[in-house]
Amino acid sequence: MATQYLPTAVVGSYSMPAWLERAKNDFLRRRITAHDLDEMHDAAVKAAIKDQEVAGLDVVSDGELRRDNMIDYFATRLPGVEIDRGSKASYYDFYDSVVRNRMPMAPLGLVEHFRFLRTFTDRRTKVSVTGPHSLVKRIRNQHYPTEEAFAVEIARIMNLELRELVRAGAEQIQIDEPYYSGFPEDLPWGVRAINALVDGVDARLSLHVCYGNRYGKPSWEGSYRYLFPAILEARVHQITLEFARRGSEDLRLFKEFDAPFTLGLGVVDVKTHDIETPALVAERIREALAILPVDRLSVNPDCGLLHLPREVAFPKLGAMVEGAQLVRRELQG
Amino acid sequence: MIIHLNFLPKPGETAAGEVLAALIALIDQGRLDPEMLPHLRLHLDWIQYKANFREPVTVRHATDARGERMALAELAVDLRRASRDRLIDELSGALASVGAAERDPGRRVVVEDWVPLGESSIWQFNRLFWQRLADWERQSGRGFEAALPSGRSDANDPAAVADAVADFWTLLVELDKRGQLPAEIFALEIGVGSGTRAGLWLDRFKTIDEARATGFYPRLRFLLADYSLPTLDRAMSAVEAHREVVSMIATDALNPLRALSFLRYKILYVHLTNVYDNLPVDELVRRDGQLYLVETRAYLPAPVARAVASAHGVGPSELRPTIARLLETGPDLFGDRERGVAFWRAVWEGLCLEERLRRLEGTADVPLPPGLHGDDLDELLATAPADIRFHISRGAVESFVNTVPLLHPRGYLQVQDIFVATMDEYRQGFRGPGKLDGSVVNWVNGALLRAVGARTGYDVHFAPFRYRAGSRTSILYTTLRE
Repeated sequence: MATQYLPTAVVGSYSMPAWLERAKNDFLRRRITAHDLDEMHDAAVKAAIKDQEVAGLDVVSDGELRRDNMIDYFATRLPGVEIDRGSKASYYDFYDSVVRNRMPMAPLGLVEHFRFLRTFTDRRTKVSVTGPHSLVKRIRNQHYPTEEAFAVEIARIMNLELRELVRAGAEQIQIDEPYYSGFPEDLPWGVRAINALVDGVDARLSLHVCYGNRYGKPSWEGSYRYLFPAILEARVHQITLEFARRGSEDLRLFKEFDAPFTLGLGVVDVKTHDIETPALVAERIREALAILPVDRLSVNPDCGLLHLPREVAFPKLGAMVEGAQLVRRELQG
Repeated sequence: MIIHLNFLPKPGETAAGEVLAALIALIDQGRLDPEMLPHLRLHLDWIQYKANFREPVTVRHATDARGERMALAELAVDLRRASRDRLIDELSGALASVGAAERDPGRRVVVEDWVPLGESSIWQFNRLFWQRLADWERQSGRGFEAALPSGRSDANDPAAVADAVADFWTLLVELDKRGQLPAEIFALEIGVGSGTRAGLWLDRFKTIDEARATGFYPRLRFLLADYSLPTLDRAMSAVEAHREVVSMIATDALNPLRALSFLRYKILYVHLTNVYDNLPVDELVRRDGQLYLVETRAYLPAPVARAVASAHGVGPSELRPTIARLLETGPDLFGDRERGVAFWRAVWEGLCLEERLRRLEGTADVPLPPGLHGDDLDELLATAPADIRFHISRGAVESFVNTVPLLHPRGYLQVQDIFVATMDEYRQGFRGPGKLDGSVVNWVNGALLRAVGARTGYDVHFAPFRYRAGSRTSILYTTLRE
């Protein structure tokens, strides 16, 4: 059996080095220049790519290390968003951001960072973007009549960027929507916004929904049952969910609702420093195989590795890859 | 010489002028080393704890990393206790006493080597007190809460408890409305004292729940946590009426996660009262832009040592090993518990801390507790007064970072204690350590906790304890940092 089964990847982010955190804060306080920070970002991204390759991942990302957080990277790029640059004390805080007028169309500049990733790896690549639902929960809206209208507008602007990414060679694009779990009542319009975002985007599309990973802890608790059946309307190929921390009980929802998606199976808990064994990872994959066929499973951590130190994140990825290999060998007989 | 008046004196209360006059007289009489004067700092304090670890007049010198003497010296005078009649002699004696344990072993009996304050044996005494509280109280004839400034614990204020319950109940209602209330409602109290607060809290919670028919009480899982099993047993009897919803668990306040990891992200409310002020601290000093770590060594002044040795049948040369044995084995060391407790109490009453300032090359040399990053300390120091002495509340920080992972995503931590909310407040007032009965008491560096909280995803706030006039207590509470 070839390695196209059970492909392994990060969800998006990789371990943020402490020195880079310091540099980001120094930049925020005007102690270093943007040029210096850019150089550090380049070095950190190259190291993250290398770590993912050495760990044996099939699909790699840039580790999202250029991002202050999942909101500001986009809020500062979206045209028409006013940013209060004095509103955060730490790089990881959210800027106070607001939209007061109709947002114009303009490129976001994600392609440049994708090309950098592409330059430094021959592996398959993945680009993650924060979804419109999550963005409208953090960017204040003083123009659009509803949250849905605001989200669809953001989706319309970002759709052009995703098409540019595909033109630049992006094969896999993931949309992150952790705020669904905090606002399950929004799901119907949240899915409509996703569909506006991915309209005409010719890439393998994944939707990542978790229970939050802000500061490395969950923001909400509950069951993925709230996703169904509304999520079935999402025009994506894959749903990427967390199961390692929360247990596998919600796997049955895929069967119960005959979900048409492949599943990005979270097999590594990103909220603990305990490093999983390959055997444990394999066991988690086998549980999923009882529900879904092997060609509908991908293997990934529960969420981004941002908050884990490298000495934890790297062996976790290694265990994940080894666990997937164990199952592949079993399937080969 | 630089003079630091570290408190706001009331009219007629301070003898600061007399101290200065005495010092000048010493200079005139040639009894103060002229080489010392340019580097001397005079600290005038009014120490709020009647029982503490300082003699009325003390000197501390700075040393380099190897322990070699540097020029900086601090002369500290507790104006509350310094005797006006003996001021000149005490100042002169203190200045001459630097390093006296080596030069004049007769002046004091040193009972440990130089260590950072956080590693001092006073913390072993503190632990012993809570482990053997009943023995201490039996001989002292009073409960430990009687030693508090108001004679009772603010933890047990009925109005404060009622407000705490109301806040919690409101949270439960909100979660319930959104369908996010877990089937089991976990609440945790760390450091249970007599159990009085837990009992009051549970009574109130049950009353509200029954009056409003919300059905939360039967779902409540209230955990009493303490490192002292005798204390837990006593607290359990205070919550007897709620036995079906209460459990007790032996837990080190420094790391509740160790015993309670199965409740990670599940506890909706964690409360502590007068725990943080009782956990180990280090102290840092910045003088002339240079950072120093406060090192201490415990000693008994010679008259105290003689009296203790004589009264308890211990040879003077045996005092140090006997005290070490007390800390290892507890008050049964003589095979006679009453005699052991009496010895313990006498030693504790007389115990003092000699201090010196060990120079650090920078914040990278500061021994940081888990959860506190060098960057946080750098930022705090950037906004702190240039000359400052402050706590690294290592025990409180460690406890905090090992507690918040237990919180449910919508849960919160509440801590009643004595906090220094900003670094600027360290300019004024003695902040410990002091003695409270057989335990140690210290103010807690709230600014440090605020920085640590931000890194762990919580905003840390301080509200004054408004339920008792004159209370120095504050209430720390966390809110989610989005």
